[in-house]
Amino acid sequence: MAEILEIQEEHHTNLLPTPDNGEGGEKTAMNISYGKTMMWYFLLSDAFTFSAFLIAYASIRLAQAWWPNPNLVFKSFPGLGHTNAPLAFVSVMTFILILSSVAVVRAVQEGHRMNQKGVMLWMIGGIVGGAMFLGCQAWEWNHLIAEGLRPFYNPFGPDANGVTHLVEEHMAVSPGPIAFGALFFGITGFHGFHVFTGVCINIWAFFATANGTFQRRGHYEMIEKVGLYWHFVDLVWVFVFLAFYLM
Amino acid sequence: MSSHLSEEQYQSSVKAVWRATAILSIVTVVEVAVALILGPHLPKLVMNTFYVLASLAKAFFIVGEFMHLKYEKRAFMLSLGVPLVFLVWAIIAFATEGHYWNILNHPK
Repeated sequence: MAEILEIQEEHHTNLLPTPDNGEGGEKTAMNISYGKTMMWYFLLSDAFTFSAFLIAYASIRLAQAWWPNPNLVFKSFPGLGHTNAPLAFVSVMTFILILSSVAVVRAVQEGHRMNQKGVMLWMIGGIVGGAMFLGCQAWEWNHLIAEGLRPFYNPFGPDANGVTHLVEEHMAVSPGPIAFGALFFGITGFHGFHVFTGVCINIWAFFATANGTFQRRGHYEMIEKVGLYWHFVDLVWVFVFLAFYLM
Repeated sequence: MSSHLSEEQYQSSVKAVWRATAILSIVTVVEVAVALILGPHLPKLVMNTFYVLASLAKAFFIVGEFMHLKYEKRAFMLSLGVPLVFLVWAIIAFATEGHYWNILNHPK
């Protein structure tokens, strides 16, 4: 009995029946709540899914004799017309996503202090950042589709010297590797879907906070779980950015 | 349930997060600057190695600081990290195979 009490002490848990709040508040052997553990293992499985996509991308790209130069494909910026600004827009998108992630970290920290207003304020920051990222992605997809990129057609082809051009501008000798479009829309689309669901979940978490659900529960662990998912979206973007825009 | 923080712990954790934010932003800016300035002049292999290392550094900051994994139990970190070792095999195997197709399809 004494031993059990010691263990209780050590893990700050209460072995007596606690009111069930539906998210499994008891700590496990690794001193992390059941709910957070399961969110982490879900994210691990999701990481394998994204890795499979990105590894498929790498192997297909390596199997081609030629691949479009990202500096010449992703060079547009909204409102600047036919500009040449390689990587500029995607850097802005990356920055927006990082800041949105930071806002949610701050919400988690305010949750630790039981500061309801603070959680709400920073969650709004996270939601706005996510929505802005989605807007940017919509613009970029729209622009590339207007240039002729499709899942089964790639207008970015090589000229005689291997420099990337649009086929429609009669500079390239042939269209580029077909897989480029399918991989680009597939992988950035799957990531964008994660961003979209993340924004929806963040909006839900904001309203639950505003209703005082977590204040009454006595802890803001739900914000931590929602935050884990949101940071994972940011983490995946690091590797999408690497694979499509940098390499 | 969730450990309620003291004022000092709160202040230091806020500081740690802004520090991580600054590092992530700087690494991203450096990556893009290097890509635009040095990219056209250096061999592809050097550039790609740099990009991969910079991205892994960013990943460590996001997972460690933002996702708070740095502060969890070691056993828990290992339970997430060890399965990812399979990916090292997958990347090597699939990259080799892709390169082999390239040689088969486009003989010099």
